[in-house]
Amino acid sequence: MIQAAVYTLLFYLFGGATIALALVTVLNRRMLRAVMGLMGVLAMSACFYIMLSAEFLAGVQILVYVGGIVVLMVFAIMLTQTVDVLVEVPHWSRRALAGAAALALLLAVAGLGAGVPLEAPAGAGIPEDNTVAIGKALMDYGPRGYVLPFEIISLLLLAAAIGGIVVARKTAPEDQPLTSGGDLADEGLLQTAHTQRDEEAWVPES
Amino acid sequence: MTTFLAAQTPGLTHWIVLSGVLFAIGVYGLLTRRNAIGVLMSIELMLNSAALNFVVFNHFRAPAGVDGQIMAIFVIAVAAAEAVIAMAIFVAIYRRRGTLDVTSMDALKD
Repeated sequence: MIQAAVYTLLFYLFGGATIALALVTVLNRRMLRAVMGLMGVLAMSACFYIMLSAEFLAGVQILVYVGGIVVLMVFAIMLTQTVDVLVEVPHWSRRALAGAAALALLLAVAGLGAGVPLEAPAGAGIPEDNTVAIGKALMDYGPRGYVLPFEIISLLLLAAAIGGIVVARKTAPEDQPLTSGGDLADEGLLQTAHTQRDEEAWVPES
Repeated sequence: MTTFLAAQTPGLTHWIVLSGVLFAIGVYGLLTRRNAIGVLMSIELMLNSAALNFVVFNHFRAPAGVDGQIMAIFVIAVAAAEAVIAMAIFVAIYRRRGTLDVTSMDALKD
């Protein structure tokens, strides 16, 4: 019984913290604080996964989201930080409209879900060995297996990595079209710089 | 106190309400943020609440299988790929335009 009480307490504790941190994420005017709020939300979600007896997923969440995506976002914020660190407060009409849209979505989902029977079947709970079951299902090429989506995801991640490198590398300067020709121009600039330096180094000797 | 708390164990509805609220907060951020990174953060919030929903339904409605958890893993993988591409685009745009204001990115409009 004490276990159930602690479970309830943790649910409301983590739930309140998650909602507060999510509000920090969308409302804070400093992007770095907002990203810290997002990190908190994602870490809290890992706690939720553990409470739902999905321990492997909690580990994946921490590794990929908190360890990867949040760090990437911090890097992107640092790289794109302008002098005006504070993000402008949006106009009140935009905020009211967005709030109305979010509330309407929530109410619509609640209205749609109200008619659906949501009682959990008796004896609910994922079995203890669900990590093993995940591994087996991901490698299973039967009708209920996931080996094809698994391979497609690996292909997607490879394409995303290559695409990220291609998009983020140096491109043409402002006055030139945004094509791969910009890289050639950059190399040309680089070469002239080299020759100039060589000439400067050469002159005093002769 | 303990008995009261033990009787109040969160059920399926509690979890769905939690993830629904998180999703709505994400929608609000998506519509109000002007910084592109802020928009992406709101999208991550929404993806995360959807993944949480998958796991909740797996736990309460189909505890014999792990299909919901596998779906959540795929959601996380796709979110990672999306974040990589988005960050690369943001850095490229910032290098070219000097701003990440989404309201000023309207080159495709006309």
